[in-house]
Amino acid sequence: MDAFNMGLVAAMGALATVAGASEDIDSDIGSQSNPNSQVQLAAQVGNPHRIYNKAIAGEPPSNALWCTTAAIMAYVMITAYGMPLIFAAAAGAALAALFDGVFSVSAYIGRSASQARFNQWIYLDILRYTTPSIMAHVWITSFCIVTVSIIQVYLLTPHHPFPIPIIALIWGLTVGAIGSSVGDIHYGGEREFQWRLFGQGLNTMLSGQIVRKAEAGLRNSIDNAWFCAKFGGPATGMGFGLTVFLDNWRTAVFDPVTQSFAAIATGIFFVIVMILYNFYCELSARRKYGPYPGYKGDVAA
Amino acid sequence: MNVGPETIVYILEIVVGGLLVGIGVHFVPVGGAPAAMAQATGIGTGTVQLAAGCGLTGLLAAGLMMSVTDNLWPILATGAVGAMIMIDATMLTGSWIYAYAVGAPFASAKVNYDPITGFSQPPYVAPGTVGQGIPTVCFVSGTIGALMGGVGGAMIYYPLMLINGNPAMSAIFAIGIFFVNAVLASWNIQGTIEGFHDPKFKKWPTAFRSCLAASFILAIVAVLIIPIATSGGV
Repeated sequence: MDAFNMGLVAAMGALATVAGASEDIDSDIGSQSNPNSQVQLAAQVGNPHRIYNKAIAGEPPSNALWCTTAAIMAYVMITAYGMPLIFAAAAGAALAALFDGVFSVSAYIGRSASQARFNQWIYLDILRYTTPSIMAHVWITSFCIVTVSIIQVYLLTPHHPFPIPIIALIWGLTVGAIGSSVGDIHYGGEREFQWRLFGQGLNTMLSGQIVRKAEAGLRNSIDNAWFCAKFGGPATGMGFGLTVFLDNWRTAVFDPVTQSFAAIATGIFFVIVMILYNFYCELSARRKYGPYPGYKGDVAA
Repeated sequence: MNVGPETIVYILEIVVGGLLVGIGVHFVPVGGAPAAMAQATGIGTGTVQLAAGCGLTGLLAAGLMMSVTDNLWPILATGAVGAMIMIDATMLTGSWIYAYAVGAPFASAKVNYDPITGFSQPPYVAPGTVGQGIPTVCFVSGTIGALMGGVGGAMIYYPLMLINGNPAMSAIFAIGIFFVNAVLASWNIQGTIEGFHDPKFKKWPTAFRSCLAASFILAIVAVLIIPIATSGGV
């Protein structure tokens, strides 16, 4: 274990946390992932809205695309033109953000236009001030992930054998999978349906009945980002940060050649701790909230 | 390339890796879009996406380990551990949101009692939903699925590296074989499953057969890949 490697792993964990948070907020502003099924349904059940609608693809493939685009440009800049690593990452992220802007605009216009028969309008003001926010978050995500990949390939020892674009592809898929699994629940389960009874999932009867009024005026996607940045985004960042940090920490502390058993055993220890923590969450939720009042059957465990 | 006895072993390793991925997907508790609205039990995303996210994190760890050792067992084990860490971190942070933001107790609608903790489930299933959150049985099942996915990904990567010696090409081909098997398994479970306690889990032999056929064809193509360096590339 050397201090430089540990510092790098800590930096990677911090960058991954920021990447996870910005990825989730990007998907909330653009209403990209699973909860977007409700946004699309809303107009069809008579609730036209002012929510952005950028279902370009599932979060993992689309984030893999942005991160790989950024990584390829960074890789070319580093290997062919000798650009400093951090500037190359920034330049690559800028390209990814531009790509995302093009896809977002076409997705919003296309999807809203196809719902014209349900009275869904295309709002140009939404398009004008939401798209740059989405692009900015994609820039942050791509920059952080390309920087993590650069650290793994050029700085961290042992150097990772994969080239930067493939590492960015895999981390992009992973951050998208985590954003889609964690942050989406805060947006879909909580923010989209704030007037239903608290403490339960969405009743199937209420599908498409999303909240359309904001704290002031009509709700738009920036309001959703404001809400989800308080818990959903940081939790996503924590999930991705834990993944990157714990996975690399064990091979940074223990030498993978001579102490591979210790590195693997440490990983299994983390897994057991997380299983127990989830059990604690389950137990405390059951104790605090109790069974649903309408239930008529057997309650005892 | 030279076709010898070791080629048969490489093909078998790739086929076993593909089968592990295909069966491992059946263990991962995914509820799809309804789970993101706390309307179904499991993780709120797609099967393939989550399986790929964890399996490929394992592949990254396995690739790093293979760059420093040729011993198969640490490579497989580190791949499995990398995948398990990813899926557990995801499920744990997801559980925070279910417990502390949506404020719902975790419950499965597929069984009356959790097979691991013995907790009763029906009283805690919200009206109009088919469960919510990630109960312990789903969490453990997901961990087993990630273990199989991580071992499978590493087991596909290992022979490819021995054949062509190019980490980038081996990784991309391993990702491709991984996705094929994950998608086949996902069709088999129709997109959502709660884990090994779900009645849909009994359908795994169908996925086993289709993954066997697909992995075998892909394995034959994979062992014929010529390293870029010897064909005049970079």
